[in-house]
Amino acid sequence: MRKKINLYLIEYAINAILRQSYKNFFIVTVFTILTFLLTSVFFITNSLRYEMDSTVDTLPQIIVQKMKAGRHYDIDVNRVDKILEIPGVSDAVARVWGYYYFENAGVNFSVVGIEQYENQYKNSFVNLVKKFDFDKLKENSSMLVGAGVKRTMENSYYKEYFNFIKPNGTLKKVTLGGVFDGDTNLESNDMIIMPQEIVREIFDLDPSKATDIVVKVANPMEIQTVASKIKLMFPDTRIITTGDLKVSYQNIFDYKSGIFLALFIVTLFTFFIIIYDKASGVTSEEKREIGILKAIGWTVDDVLKEKFYESFVISLFSYGLGVGLSLAYVYLFQAPLLRDIFVGYSQLKTNFELPFVFDMQTLFLVFLLSVPIYIAATIIPSWKVATLEADEVIR
Amino acid sequence: MIKLKNITKIYDVSKNDKVKALENVNLTIKEGELIVLKGASGSGKSTILSLIAALSKPSSGEVIVDGKQISKLPDNFASIYRRDNIGFIFQKYNLIPTLSVKENILLPLVPLNPDSEEADEKIQEVMKRFHIEHKEDSVVRNLSGGEQQRVAIARANVNNPKIIIADEPTANLDEKLSQHFLEILRELKSLNKTIIIATHDPLFIGLDFVDREIEIHNGKIV
Repeated sequence: MRKKINLYLIEYAINAILRQSYKNFFIVTVFTILTFLLTSVFFITNSLRYEMDSTVDTLPQIIVQKMKAGRHYDIDVNRVDKILEIPGVSDAVARVWGYYYFENAGVNFSVVGIEQYENQYKNSFVNLVKKFDFDKLKENSSMLVGAGVKRTMENSYYKEYFNFIKPNGTLKKVTLGGVFDGDTNLESNDMIIMPQEIVREIFDLDPSKATDIVVKVANPMEIQTVASKIKLMFPDTRIITTGDLKVSYQNIFDYKSGIFLALFIVTLFTFFIIIYDKASGVTSEEKREIGILKAIGWTVDDVLKEKFYESFVISLFSYGLGVGLSLAYVYLFQAPLLRDIFVGYSQLKTNFELPFVFDMQTLFLVFLLSVPIYIAATIIPSWKVATLEADEVIR
Repeated sequence: MIKLKNITKIYDVSKNDKVKALENVNLTIKEGELIVLKGASGSGKSTILSLIAALSKPSSGEVIVDGKQISKLPDNFASIYRRDNIGFIFQKYNLIPTLSVKENILLPLVPLNPDSEEADEKIQEVMKRFHIEHKEDSVVRNLSGGEQQRVAIARANVNNPKIIIADEPTANLDEKLSQHFLEILRELKSLNKTIIIATHDPLFIGLDFVDREIEIHNGKIV
């Protein structure tokens, strides 16, 4: 009985690859680069999408902002009590926060003020209040920073404190009270948290005012209704719901995806040119070899099996190498160059790490776009030659 | 027994250019016979060999080997027929130049997927018989013409075929190596193999172990 796997054929296929080492080295190189590019782009977008979804999920259900002349102004804190009276609202908190542009590093920090004894609108803040003594932070004029902020500050030699420039031009020295982990990587990297009183001083914000008000609704299905009621109650406000924020984030992401799409098309186009070149014929040397093999008793099936093994080894090796390099490039080295294309809003954010998102679908898609196509492009012209009369081929 | 009945072979060189290589050829070769097909280049000798080896199909007529009509075999069956019955020694040897001697001789066995011991035994046997065992691992392109021919002969015999076909076997050999080839032929003949040789080399004329010499001229048996 014949054995199922013909190791001689596999050995012959590997030998055939090694015999044409220059040509195959070129194919493996190009194939690997294309796989690497495709998977890198997919990995980066997957990570960013994950990051974006995580960020959006941690955002408040409703944000109420006071508008004046089409611009966002400070809102009266006493509006919180009126909002709390709306049926369905389970909580409302006046937030004190703002962006602080750190010119040396060219980045924006999100500076957030927390009142220790208030209801916190984020789980991570509840944990912070439990973990750190805010009375002591107020007393020492200290702040808590995300890991990215700490790195950025240290790069500018602010290791123990930071001097904030107040609107009147004077400095506010705030010492480093601790480092925290946020809900998401993006958040933890650009956020500074400190007692509300210090934030008010840095941004020159009156105690009767807040940056905005966040509202929690018990039943998520009622978010739109509550938003409409707030708008009716305070016509001078802008109401932003989680849904609106998702759309806004998605728009930025989709814009970046357009660039990705262009890159994706160029990569695929290059791949198909190579495939077309390969599919359009076999060399006279390869043709002769097929003729010899047939003349000494190989069937068309034997020839095609050998060609299958040959192309499978090349394409699978290149695919594996491309994916491996891509994993290292994206998650180990944090995708230098490519990452800048996608993280367009990095001007507002400090450096952050691309979270590892293993997506089988992505790997399968790249596999389908490369390996079977390459195998087919190798087998079809070989099949054309193998079905000719052997005499015609070797004559 | 090999029988060629009313064989005509026409090659289509191009749309309007057809070459009649064989015309109404009838030939019977008995088992164990050694036949020499003589004739000038282009006379149709190689075409007869190619038809017997099922490397090509006749335009009309029949090729019958051991009672089976092989001229109408589908492609895959023709390959299997060659694998089981034919050992072909080509004029230009048709070896894979970048493979070693052993790897080239192994090629006809590959589709059969034999045990490595069995394959090795067969390869060693033919390498010894045709005195090429000392070059076992040498790459074929680095061998001399005579050595390459011995590799081609070993490869043609590794499956122990009943029929040996040789197309201009001495065309690329000097006199000494040609004489050596005749010794090999004599040995193959002693193994009761049917041997068909196409040649225009006068060396093959009047040899005691050749059963018949057949003259081909312009696609016809003279």
